Amino acid sequence: MVNHASHYLNRFKASLRIDQTIRDGAAAELYAHLEDKTRELEEEGLSREEASRIAIKSLGSPELIAEQMYETHAQGSWKDAIFSALPHLLVAALFASYYWRNVACVSIVLALTVAMAIYGWQRGKPIWIFPWLGYYLMPVVVSAILLLSLPQGWGWIAALIYIPLALFVFIHIVRQTARRDWLYASLMLAPMIVTFTWFSSLGGGNQFLTTDWAARLQTNAIWIVVSFIALAAGTVAFIRVRQRRYKIVSLVVPPLVILLAVLASSGGHIAWSWLLLILSLCAFAVPLWMQAKAYQ
Amino acid sequence: MNYERELLKGNTDSLLLCLISHQPTYGYQIVKELEKRSNGYFQFKEGTLYPALHRLEKDNLITGKWQILPNGQQRRYYYITERGQQVLARKLATWQDFSTAVKSVIQPETT
Repeated sequence: MVNHASHYLNRFKASLRIDQTIRDGAAAELYAHLEDKTRELEEEGLSREEASRIAIKSLGSPELIAEQMYETHAQGSWKDAIFSALPHLLVAALFASYYWRNVACVSIVLALTVAMAIYGWQRGKPIWIFPWLGYYLMPVVVSAILLLSLPQGWGWIAALIYIPLALFVFIHIVRQTARRDWLYASLMLAPMIVTFTWFSSLGGGNQFLTTDWAARLQTNAIWIVVSFIALAAGTVAFIRVRQRRYKIVSLVVPPLVILLAVLASSGGHIAWSWLLLILSLCAFAVPLWMQAKAYQ
Repeated sequence: MNYERELLKGNTDSLLLCLISHQPTYGYQIVKELEKRSNGYFQFKEGTLYPALHRLEKDNLITGKWQILPNGQQRRYYYITERGQQVLARKLATWQDFSTAVKSVIQPETT
């Protein structure tokens, strides 16, 4: 019984990517059910082995139960959806109102992002935390890139010290998130991909540094606003839909909208954005691959 | 899709709420009770009951509490909430009306 049940419950838990406490509770309920059914069948005269086999069969596919359980627990409330979309809407508001060049406004948004990310992390990582975490991680990555532009080789020395630290923090948070669900990792990384796609559309290397990139960014403000609103809409859909495949669709659609926005703003000359878009789509495809692997 | 299965799916919430409203109960007992009261009519993969129970709990219609039995076994008992009782009353009233209407159509009273 123990071996059969353990194998069954392991399959169930491996297929169910939700909060660990809820998952363990659901597995314990299924185990109690198996114990009751097995005991009853044994009392009817069956061997323990046979009773256990029938009990497991009567429960049905652990993957199917996990899928239905996922649909129950993976849907966040409207409150969760609004909290999740809020950081994207704040960035959109910064660009729409031209306040993205105002240090005080940007600082307030950054402070709010840090506060929300830390608050959510300490409160057991509720579903709305992941977009906030994405913005929280962005300065860590951007600082590493900016360090490389320091003069006379100092950049490389600073980067050599900073980048391993930044990578450690980044990988640690992504791993922690992916352990719960790969889709949450994609949700978290989405704002980073949008931001880098827009920056890369302004040109690479010297071209970027020698042009007035801030003015060019402002010229495209309306399209940037559209991008972040698309991301906010995708996030709301992700939180509210129950089925996993629709969650994946809600993650994949915003990058396509963003590509169109970048194309529309640059007249077709999007430099490195193609590469970033392909990379971002690959990142979004990882959850699909991981899920397919889990179901094998 | 199987018609009986669709009917059961559409009425799962009412059946579960009704059973739980009679007395606090746990998953396996619900399966047994459903089978007994329906004379074996309601048969389904037993594991699919648990997502339905969790959905009702998430909607705040029932609440689950772990209890330890004298033999050390743990079971999660479900209790109906006040909101659950209100929803059940509404669902039962709707079902009665629907059932009466269907009967009137398929078995019209002869005058």
